[in-house]
Amino acid sequence: MKERPETILEVDSIVTRFGEQAVHDGVSFTLQRGTLTALIGGSGTGKSVLLREIIGLQRPTDGQIRLLGTNVWQDTEDNLNAMRRRFGMMFQDGALFSSMTVAQNVAVPLKEHANVPHALLDPLIKLRLAQAGLEPDVAEKMPSELSGGMRKRAAIARALALEPEMLFLDEPTSGLDPTTARAFDKLVRSLVDDLGITVFLITHDLDTLLTVVDRVIVLAKGKVLADGTIDDILKVDDEWLQSYFSVRTVIDARGEPVS
Amino acid sequence: MPAAAERAQTDAPNAILVSAGAAATLRLTGAWRLAFVERITDQLAALKPPKEFVVDGSEVGEIDSAGALVLLNYLESAGQSTPQLTGFAANEQRIVEQVRARLEAARAPTEHHRERMLEGIGRRAIDIGRGLLGDVNFLGATVVGVAHSVLHPRSVRLRELTVQFEQVCLNAIPVVALVTLLIGIVFTYLLGLQAEQFGANIFVVDGVGIGMTREFAPILVAVIVAGRSGAAFTAQLGAMKLTEETDAIRTLGLSPMDVLMLPRVIALMIAMPLLVFVGDLMSLAGAMMIANSMLDVTPTTFIARLRDGLDIAHPLVGLIKAPVFALVIAVIGCRMGMSVDRDTRAVGMATTSTVVQSIVSVILLDAAFAVFFQELGI
Repeated sequence: MKERPETILEVDSIVTRFGEQAVHDGVSFTLQRGTLTALIGGSGTGKSVLLREIIGLQRPTDGQIRLLGTNVWQDTEDNLNAMRRRFGMMFQDGALFSSMTVAQNVAVPLKEHANVPHALLDPLIKLRLAQAGLEPDVAEKMPSELSGGMRKRAAIARALALEPEMLFLDEPTSGLDPTTARAFDKLVRSLVDDLGITVFLITHDLDTLLTVVDRVIVLAKGKVLADGTIDDILKVDDEWLQSYFSVRTVIDARGEPVS
Repeated sequence: MPAAAERAQTDAPNAILVSAGAAATLRLTGAWRLAFVERITDQLAALKPPKEFVVDGSEVGEIDSAGALVLLNYLESAGQSTPQLTGFAANEQRIVEQVRARLEAARAPTEHHRERMLEGIGRRAIDIGRGLLGDVNFLGATVVGVAHSVLHPRSVRLRELTVQFEQVCLNAIPVVALVTLLIGIVFTYLLGLQAEQFGANIFVVDGVGIGMTREFAPILVAVIVAGRSGAAFTAQLGAMKLTEETDAIRTLGLSPMDVLMLPRVIALMIAMPLLVFVGDLMSLAGAMMIANSMLDVTPTTFIARLRDGLDIAHPLVGLIKAPVFALVIAVIGCRMGMSVDRDTRAVGMATTSTVVQSIVSVILLDAAFAVFFQELGI
């Protein structure tokens, strides 16, 4: 296996201000390859904004972001475009192109950015759907015909199309029933374990945090309040964190210990 | 870290068949990645493997699921449904196994549903029929609603009505004024070119007066309003339908007809005649300007001639048509907005449809009006 740098994402003293309102006031952390990291925080702590800044959709007021070796806000457009093919993003409600079938959605990055022989295109699309846990017959459906969970899976299939090194998920289990949500957790975990993809997700789902996540970063008051494994986070003495996790009895909620 | 393009140069994948006595080995090297699937496919296709062989992945740089898919597909076509894979690193092995478990799904045939021509025509006909029926239904409900509002003026939602009136009337004045002014100038210029040859300069005033106030101003304003307000109604209501706001209105015990549609319909019905009046004035002003400089008809003469030559019936016909056009445009706009269903794409399609339907309906109506007034002798 070719050696690759272990650090895949560096977020360095990010400051974000909207007018008077400071959302981030020096947020820094780094992510290691092959990990599943969750970003949590109360409403309005700028989780989604931070994610948008990391993937280059929204410019931070100050600070540096290096994703896959590329400085997201300073590198040339060519380098950025090359970098964009190496990560995938799943938006909260899927953001599938509504005028295309699921298969066409998945085919967009494949056709635009990869030289896939025609005969291989269809099997590859079906493989992506299967990797996202969808049946092959979903391929010809329109996004409007899908349930919320299936839309999210289809969005993952599209994000996986180019076999990214890194995957960003914005609230992957929000709006899903518990069974579907747990299946989704397993799916995300298998992407990390089987395909070696680094996953960074925003979530409010305690079950996700307690069962599949390797590391939790807590955002509060514009800074990283805590950073570590879920056990570390549970020990942190902070009012908001305490109330966040006290919603349920943690010990009972834990299923199989995370290996 | 080397850029992706650089890696592409150094890590080109290869499939090499090595035979040692009876045992053959397929040795894989380089990056078996999605970026190279074309090369991988070609390499594998060029091989002539024996019945039995072992796949050696010890020298493979990396393999991703696309590479694994091509490899497994090839192995199966080469008669190795349970291939012997050796030498892969643990993580590479996991990727291959992950793909192998999904191989059947990847091969599932795609059922393309191609619509036949006759089926397509039938479907379109049914759609159009349903659409027209819905239009009539909606028109009826709106007329009842408007009549109710006229009989019970207190039931009209004044706040929403004024907001809508500002948007469809006041904000539309600049564009209406500009367009009708320019058309007034152009129309007078063309008429003037002909009239000058006969020295009939003064009769241009009659022509412009009748043409603009009776036909052009109402039609022009209707087209502008269809593109501006009709489309806006559809987009606004469509977006509200998508975000379930219209359902929320219903569950709060209100009716979308009262809260959303009637204010829009009534505002537009009041606004249109006013806009047409603005159009009349501006087009005559444009005509007056060009008549002065090109035809030696001074503004004083122009106005005097207008008073003698332009029967009041002509502007009135134009103004009477306006609210009818407004009703049709508003009803089409609102109805298309409410027909949007779950799908963001539908908003765009409905908006386009609104503009097309509105303009066609307005012109058809105008033709009907022409025949109608002709019979009445107006």
